[in-house]
Amino acid sequence: MAADKDNGDQEMSGLLKSNFGRRDFLRTSAAAGAVALAAPARIGFAQGGPTINMQTWSAAVDTVQSHVNAFTEATGIPVNYGNAPWAQYRESMVTKFVGGAPLDMMWVSDAWLPEWAEAGWISPVDEFDFLMAYNAEAEDFCTNSMTYNGRQYGLTYYTDFMAFLYDESKIKEAGFDAPPATWEEVVEQSLVMKEKGISDYPMMLAMAQESWLIEFMSALVFSHGGRFVDDDGMAVMQEKDKGAVEALQWVVDAVNTHGIVSPACVETGELSGLKAFASGNHAFAMVAKYRLRMLNDPEQSQIAGNVKQAMMPKGPNGDHNTVGWMRFHGMASQAAQDKARAESTAKLIEWFGGKANGAYTFQKFLFLDIGAGFGVKPLFDDPEIRAAYDAYGNVDMIQAQQALAMKKDVVTPWFGEWNETNGSAWQSAILGNTDAATAVMKSAEFWDELKQDY
Amino acid sequence: MSDVPSSSTQVVDYRRRQRLARIAQRLIIFGGSILLAVYVIAPVTWLVSSSVQTEAEIVSVPPHWIPEEPTLRNFKAIFSATEEETVTYETRSGQDPAAGGFIPSTASSLLPAMANSLTVATLVVILNLLVAVPAAYSLAKIRTWGRNATVYFILITRVIPDIALVVPFFLVIRKLGMLDTIGSLVLTYLAVTVPFSVFILLQYFEGLPDELDKAARVDGCSRFQALIRVFLPLSLPSLVAVVLFTFLTSWNEFLLALMFTQTEASQTLPILLAAFTSDFTISFSFINAAGVLAIIPPVIVAIIFERYIVSGLTAGAVKG
Repeated sequence: MAADKDNGDQEMSGLLKSNFGRRDFLRTSAAAGAVALAAPARIGFAQGGPTINMQTWSAAVDTVQSHVNAFTEATGIPVNYGNAPWAQYRESMVTKFVGGAPLDMMWVSDAWLPEWAEAGWISPVDEFDFLMAYNAEAEDFCTNSMTYNGRQYGLTYYTDFMAFLYDESKIKEAGFDAPPATWEEVVEQSLVMKEKGISDYPMMLAMAQESWLIEFMSALVFSHGGRFVDDDGMAVMQEKDKGAVEALQWVVDAVNTHGIVSPACVETGELSGLKAFASGNHAFAMVAKYRLRMLNDPEQSQIAGNVKQAMMPKGPNGDHNTVGWMRFHGMASQAAQDKARAESTAKLIEWFGGKANGAYTFQKFLFLDIGAGFGVKPLFDDPEIRAAYDAYGNVDMIQAQQALAMKKDVVTPWFGEWNETNGSAWQSAILGNTDAATAVMKSAEFWDELKQDY
Repeated sequence: MSDVPSSSTQVVDYRRRQRLARIAQRLIIFGGSILLAVYVIAPVTWLVSSSVQTEAEIVSVPPHWIPEEPTLRNFKAIFSATEEETVTYETRSGQDPAAGGFIPSTASSLLPAMANSLTVATLVVILNLLVAVPAAYSLAKIRTWGRNATVYFILITRVIPDIALVVPFFLVIRKLGMLDTIGSLVLTYLAVTVPFSVFILLQYFEGLPDELDKAARVDGCSRFQALIRVFLPLSLPSLVAVVLFTFLTSWNEFLLALMFTQTEASQTLPILLAAFTSDFTISFSFINAAGVLAIIPPVIVAIIFERYIVSGLTAGAVKG
């Protein structure tokens, strides 16, 4: 070993001891520096000129690129398309906005709209009448989700909603003909299943502190006929007839009184809950609608073929409402400041979020290619889309539920701060550390405090 | 007859106990070594094993350490990338991520991203050595006014977290017109790594006797020749430490690459790997196949410099 090391030392020493003078060193340094700085010749950003800079997260890259190429071919407007990973997209975009990177059109999540609009990074598009014309065919909650302070900021890229799914075989085994239509019936059917030993915890709820939690809570509140805040942004969740307290009370009872939801739900994330449902542990689940495809795939689910969708159960004063979320194509403020650039960007937004050559090409491809839901109603009548949906779900049910989806009413600049406290308050009530009314009151007080601060 | 054991029996008992203690000690060390080996090797083994499994097999319970239905589908997707051509509606990949066999449409970008990572890492290593070696030598062996202040200043630059440097870096890179180029990465990685490289080499050079420098000068060497002919041959372990540190830092760096790159022309491997996780789904088997390819270059570098790694990593740790 020592000999090896000595030999190695000698070999490398020999290399270093070769005749290498100061001028050689300077020459090599200069050459290396030149190589390093020559490498950037491939400049991706087109800084200036007619090129439109489009930034997305890394989803359906091929589909986007093909649609970009078709746009350039149809209009002659070149597009510089870049993408970044979804998980870090927001952070990278904030840096690009702050750093003044050339940006014209980008994908935006409804959750970021207040922040980006308040910061002046994105610009409303409602001055382009040809874009606003598409609102007539878009789902209302999508249009509402792209609207902030009365201005609309884009056209829909994709949308989805929280669905109520059930395992049909377990319902039949329990002796029921139809899935539950109300939250009371969920309790009733679940108790029978527990008694017959079909499932220990028939209802799957994922209430862990993660980004999905607000979607689950919103679906529960909306289906109980409630709201977190009113149209003026004032907290109404604490009012007993506004649904939030009733919704939380239902969860608390389901865990602590009826035992139909596992107490471990406060540590169960969306993905873990989905896997548990797919393995056949539960009869009912609240998950995103797009999970239906995976749940009915024999390669990925043990209850494939049995998973059906029902309308979201309703509370005593509620309806079958659920929560919907969406992403949209937005326009950067720097593009809006230049008339020609703004018009080109608006055309690109229309090409993606509206019609391209007379059809909703991109939203259709996005659904067929990666299963992403669309926010324009006419696509529900497209034969290819109906056939694709019918392979694993009921397209009419999906359409009916999507029509009752509502935007989250708590998306504000202080949403992130409030969301954490609200989640903890709900978890605290579920664990029996406080009662539902007190937990929601605490959450409401914090909301009002933050609203005042901002 | 007496119940008291004889002294010879006591000696035998003592030896037996000693032997048992030695065996127990060896067993504990052996068991600990096995545990440590499993702890280190298991994740890599799982990475390799799952890279040739189907998506359904990966999530099976209990996990299959040895694939029942091994497949090279993921590697084929990576290596079958054809010459870049304009993507059209007809040629788009269009795969449903909810399906079990999903392969991200950016799979074909993996090899170009590896090439970008390798180019950046190699350039950063070379430029680091060219800058840090003379800097460390002059700071260690040439006594000048402000020398200590310079050393502290260099070290202070490393106290600032990278996240705080992102926006200033971004502004500079944008002004230079280098956004979305590998040059932007080389430039910023140098700013991050050179101070640490200087620090490693400085500590090592200071540990070498000044008399060597003086003897070389007496024998007619210039400062530069003394560095090249005397100090560098003695500093191989610390040079290896610098090479490893700068290569691995550049190879794995994520934050700056995320901010400065956005197309295949400049995206490095960590960015592409992160992009395989979409907002809809994640293909574990494909990501693991890409992960297998991602660890190959660092492993090769580690094998090349294996004999210098331990001494190199401790170079400068103890000042004599």
